[in-house]
Amino acid sequence: MASIKLRNITKTFGGPNIISDLSLDIDDREFVVFVGPSGCGKSTLLRIIAGLEPVTEGDVFIGDQRVNSLPAARRNIAMVFQDYALYPHMTVYGNMAFALELRGMSKVEIDTRVRRAATMLDIEPYLDRRPKALSGGQRQRVAMGRAIVRDPQVFLFDEPLSNLDARLRGQVRAEIKALSQQLKTTMIFVTHDQVEAMTMADRIVVLHAGVIQQYDTPEQVYEHPANQFVAGFIGSPTMNFLPIRLQGDEIVLTGDGRALPLTDDRRGRLQNAGGEATLGVRPEHILLCDPREGIAASIKLVEPLGSDTMVHFDLAGTPAIARVDPAIKPKVGETIALRMAPSRVHMFDVKTGQVLT
Amino acid sequence: MSTTLSADWARRLNSLQLALVGVFLLAPVVWMVLASFKQSSDVIAYPPTLLFTPTLENYVALIETTPFLSYGVNSIIVTVGSTTLGIVLGVPAAFVISWTRVSWPAVLTLAARMVPGALFLLPWYILFRNLGMIGSYWPIILSHAVITMPIVIWILLPYFDGIPRSIYEAAQVDGCSITRILWRIALPLVGSGVAIAAILAFVFSWNFFLFVLVLSTSDTKTMIAASFNFVGEGSTRWGVLMAVATLIALPPLVLAMIVQRWLIAGLTLGAVKG
Repeated sequence: MASIKLRNITKTFGGPNIISDLSLDIDDREFVVFVGPSGCGKSTLLRIIAGLEPVTEGDVFIGDQRVNSLPAARRNIAMVFQDYALYPHMTVYGNMAFALELRGMSKVEIDTRVRRAATMLDIEPYLDRRPKALSGGQRQRVAMGRAIVRDPQVFLFDEPLSNLDARLRGQVRAEIKALSQQLKTTMIFVTHDQVEAMTMADRIVVLHAGVIQQYDTPEQVYEHPANQFVAGFIGSPTMNFLPIRLQGDEIVLTGDGRALPLTDDRRGRLQNAGGEATLGVRPEHILLCDPREGIAASIKLVEPLGSDTMVHFDLAGTPAIARVDPAIKPKVGETIALRMAPSRVHMFDVKTGQVLT
Repeated sequence: MSTTLSADWARRLNSLQLALVGVFLLAPVVWMVLASFKQSSDVIAYPPTLLFTPTLENYVALIETTPFLSYGVNSIIVTVGSTTLGIVLGVPAAFVISWTRVSWPAVLTLAARMVPGALFLLPWYILFRNLGMIGSYWPIILSHAVITMPIVIWILLPYFDGIPRSIYEAAQVDGCSITRILWRIALPLVGSGVAIAAILAFVFSWNFFLFVLVLSTSDTKTMIAASFNFVGEGSTRWGVLMAVATLIALPPLVLAMIVQRWLIAGLTLGAVKG
C-alpha cells in the first residue's frame, strides 16, 4: 500500500504534449478514477505510473520513493489491461502464478496465494483451463486474480470493463468496488465512462487534453463542476447549456430574451463576467410547472426509460433535455411549461468555460 | 435451381484449375522420378516413353561410383548447421525488430538476400581462405546462414507483431526482463512460426548450389554440388543425374508432406489470438 505523487509531469511523443505540467496526489488506500474522452492522456498517465512509459519531464513517486528510473517490474504494482493480456499458452493457474514464480516464491506459497485469490474471485473451477476456454467475464476475473496474488502496493486498471457487455460490466464494476474495500490498497482506474467513474471512485480526476480539469469526490464533481467541460462530461444525459445575458435587472435567454427567475447572487456574478455567460442546468433540474410561471416549450422527442422519461425540446433555439416523471406521459408536439431549480443551475464564463463564482 | 447449378460449375472449374496447376507443377517432378528408373537410352528418347522396364541401374551406379552417403552426411551437417544458426540468430533478431518497431535491420537482411550470391563469393572465398577455414564445414554453414537468417526473420516478424503489445507489457509488470519475455512468453506463442521458418530454411539451404560449389572441398561437398559431377562437357549421364536429383528432392518432399497442414496454417495465420 502506498500513496502516489506526480509532480509537474509532461509527456510528449514528439509532437504536441499529451500531458502538460500535471501534478497529482493520490492517498494511500484511495480509489481514484481517471476519466476523460479518448485522447485526453488518461491511459498515458496510468502507463507512466506503471513504468511502461517514461516521462518527458517531471517526477513520479510511489510511497516516498522516486520511481522515474525504476522499470515496471520493480515498482511493485499490478495492472489489469483492457484486453486482459492473459498469457494464452498458460493455464489460469499458470497465469496467476507466473509473477510469483519470477520472484522465486516457494511452490507451497504460490499455491496458497493462487487458490486464495481464485476463491475470492470465484474462478477456482477454471484453474486448469486456458484463457481461450473462458468467457469475457471469467477472463476479466483471471486478470484481476493475477494482480491480486502479487499483493502489490498499487493496482492499476486500464479500461478493464470496456470489452464486457452492459450487464456484465455492471456486475464486474460492483465486484471491483467490493474488492477495493476488501483489499484496502491504492487503486487507480482509467475509464472513459462517467458512470463507472461516479460509482467506483473515492475521487475522480477529470482529464482533458492532458490537463486535470477537476480532482474531487464524485459528488463534488457532479454538483459543483469546475468548468463547462466537466459539467458536460459528467452526467447522463449531459448538462444543458444555454447562452444567457443580463438585460437591465433581469437575466434573460440570449436566444429569445425570455426572463429566467434566478437568484440575486447570480445576477452579481453575471455582471462581474461582463453580462454574458453560459447557463448550465442538468436535465433533472428542469422542472415542469404551472404555465403561468414557467417558460413554454414544444416537445420534439420523448424517450421513455422506464424509471424516467427524457423530454427533448428547444429553448431559445438551443436543444435541451428535461428528465421528468414517466407518470406525466408527455407527448411529441405538446407544449409544456418549464422552470429551473434556481439553486441547481451553474454559470460558466463564455470565453474560458470556468464556473462563475 | 440455377444457383445450385452455377455453384456446381464453379466447383468443377475450381477442380479443373487445380488439376491443371497440379499437372504443370508436378510434371517435371514425375518426369525426374520416372527418368531415374529408366535405362540411359530411354531417358533421352523422344517422344518420352511412359511405358518402360524399370531399372535400378542409375541408383546402383550412383552408389558404386561416388561416395554418395558421405555427400548425404555433408548435406545434413551443412543444412542442420545453417538452419540452427539461422534460428538461433533470426529468432531474437525478429523479436527485437518487432519489439522496437525499428524495421531497417529487417530490410537490411532482405537487401543482403536480394544481392546476387555470386557477388559475395570471391570476398568470402578470400576471407575464409585467409582464416584457414576452407576445407571445413564452417564456410558453407556461415554462407548458408545468410540465406536462412532472413527467412527466419521475415517469417517470424508477423508472428511476433501479432502478439498483442499488452501481453508483453503484462509480462514486464509481472517482473520479466526482455530476454525472459522472449523465452517464456513470445517464443511459446510463435512455436508454429518457428517450425515453419525452420522447415523453409532447411529446404532453401538443402537446395542451395552456388556457395557449396565454390566453398566446399571433396570432403565437404554436399549432394547438390556432387550432382554437378554427372554433367559433363561431352555428355551428361541423365539417368544418374535424375537418380541423384530424386534422392536430393526426397527429404524436403517428405518433410513438406509430414507438416503440410501445419505449414499452410502457419503461413496463412501469422497471428496469435488471446
